[in-house]
Amino acid sequence: MENLLAFIGRNMFLVFGLMAVGGAVALVFSKNAVHSVVGFLFSMLSVAACYLCMSAEFLAVAQLLVYAGGIVVLFLFVVMLVEMTKFKEKGLFQVQTPYAVAAVILGAVAFIGVFWSTWFGPSAAVPLTLSSPELAEGLNVASQNAEAVSRGLFAGYLLPFEILSVILLVALVGAVTLAKKERN
Amino acid sequence: MVSMNVVLFISFLLFSVGVAGVLIRRNALVILMCVELMLNAANLNLVAFARHSGTVGGQAFALLVMGLAAAEVAIGLALVVALYRKKDTIQVDQIDLLKG
Repeated sequence: MENLLAFIGRNMFLVFGLMAVGGAVALVFSKNAVHSVVGFLFSMLSVAACYLCMSAEFLAVAQLLVYAGGIVVLFLFVVMLVEMTKFKEKGLFQVQTPYAVAAVILGAVAFIGVFWSTWFGPSAAVPLTLSSPELAEGLNVASQNAEAVSRGLFAGYLLPFEILSVILLVALVGAVTLAKKERN
Repeated sequence: MVSMNVVLFISFLLFSVGVAGVLIRRNALVILMCVELMLNAANLNLVAFARHSGTVGGQAFALLVMGLAAAEVAIGLALVVALYRKKDTIQVDQIDLLKG
């Protein structure tokens, strides 16, 4: 029992990552759309915990705010707006399901082959380490993580940030135009 | 200490579940959520590589991807609502206006 707890303590990332994958599987395979949204929420919360395990505290909080606070609520609104019982649900999955599943399994086998060679091959897995000590300090402490990220964002990547603001404006106008009632 | 392989493996699993969802589900809402899953898998990779290289560029870009995902969801959901008003369905296989 203590060994198990110690193992979990050492591999928090793995635990939360598998929880995220479990939520994703619940998303894909549940019949009810509301259950899908709950699985999505669970997956996003687990991904936020994964960010915490990689000591990206600012990103974890941003993930909680953007996904759990914004996007999931938006999805729930649309699920409530769209009456699912109105149209006939002929089947959960598409006609070409066998082909799609075969393609996904093929890709999975290829990727697992690559991972197999890196895990059990001659070269050892490289642990995640930081190259420069001051950056390591900046990424490790929670308050300094926000500082480091903001410095990277506003000093190194200012142009993408500004372009993103324009994209958000366009998305705002586009969403309003698409969703408003036609007047005629 | 988080091993790089574990991060890559988890993000690969998340991405493939997202791809499978986009390919096999009919509900447009679920397809949108699966796209979000794939973006999150990419974000996990970005953060892992940022930590590996000891720079903050990856984390900053993950933040940008998050904002882009929010914009994409807004547009996608507006499309779904408009589609529902016009065709009374959001099953993607029943929207076959261009089918010969």
